[in-house]
Amino acid sequence: MKVSDFTWREPVTIDVGDTIAAAARMFADAGIGSLVVVDDGRPVGIVTDRDLVVRALARGVGSDGRVDGVMSMGVVALDADDDVEELYAVFGRHAIRRVPVVDHDRVVGMVSLDDALVSTASQLAALSGVLSTQIVFPHARDEAAPPAVIDT
Amino acid sequence: MKAHTGDKLTISGHQVGEPKRVGRIEEVRGADGEPPYRVRWIENDHVTLLFPGPDCSIEPMDADHETKGADQ
Repeated sequence: MKVSDFTWREPVTIDVGDTIAAAARMFADAGIGSLVVVDDGRPVGIVTDRDLVVRALARGVGSDGRVDGVMSMGVVALDADDDVEELYAVFGRHAIRRVPVVDHDRVVGMVSLDDALVSTASQLAALSGVLSTQIVFPHARDEAAPPAVIDT
Repeated sequence: MKAHTGDKLTISGHQVGEPKRVGRIEEVRGADGEPPYRVRWIENDHVTLLFPGPDCSIEPMDADHETKGADQ
């Protein structure tokens, strides 16, 4: 299974020089919890709604502060062709909940830990359905004759 | 930011006591040496696709080799 098999969300970006207030408005308008911070179109960081609380509000940074002052610097990403095991590994190694997906050098989507869990759960549900059918209707499509009973 | 395959990439620690992370660039994915880079981290040998942030520095492979040579 590939990263591309998961549901992607369109990446929402904010410029490195924009304000914390602008980031908050984008969170509200887009109904999301993280933004990719870009400098001249290239990702340089991630800012989350929690960053605004912990790194700005809690430290008295005003809403006119720059978003790059509260972002997490650097962006760990995944290729759309990467195996899903790599997605799980990235979540674990880097203690993050959202990963941008890139096509060459451009961010084309975002996959969250929630997305991965929902997708995996739905696959498990599909497998569970198959298993339930096989339990209720054992050998339903098996056209072979039943085993002979041998008198001893 | 520009890099070549084999260059050394360092991310400085953000807090007191936080170690810096050092890796080797295995692949340059952007045009003309631009990010993203595939980086193999020295500490755990894992490989990460990374867009470096402002806290990141890149040293040419040759310069690193020369430094090591001078230390010996």
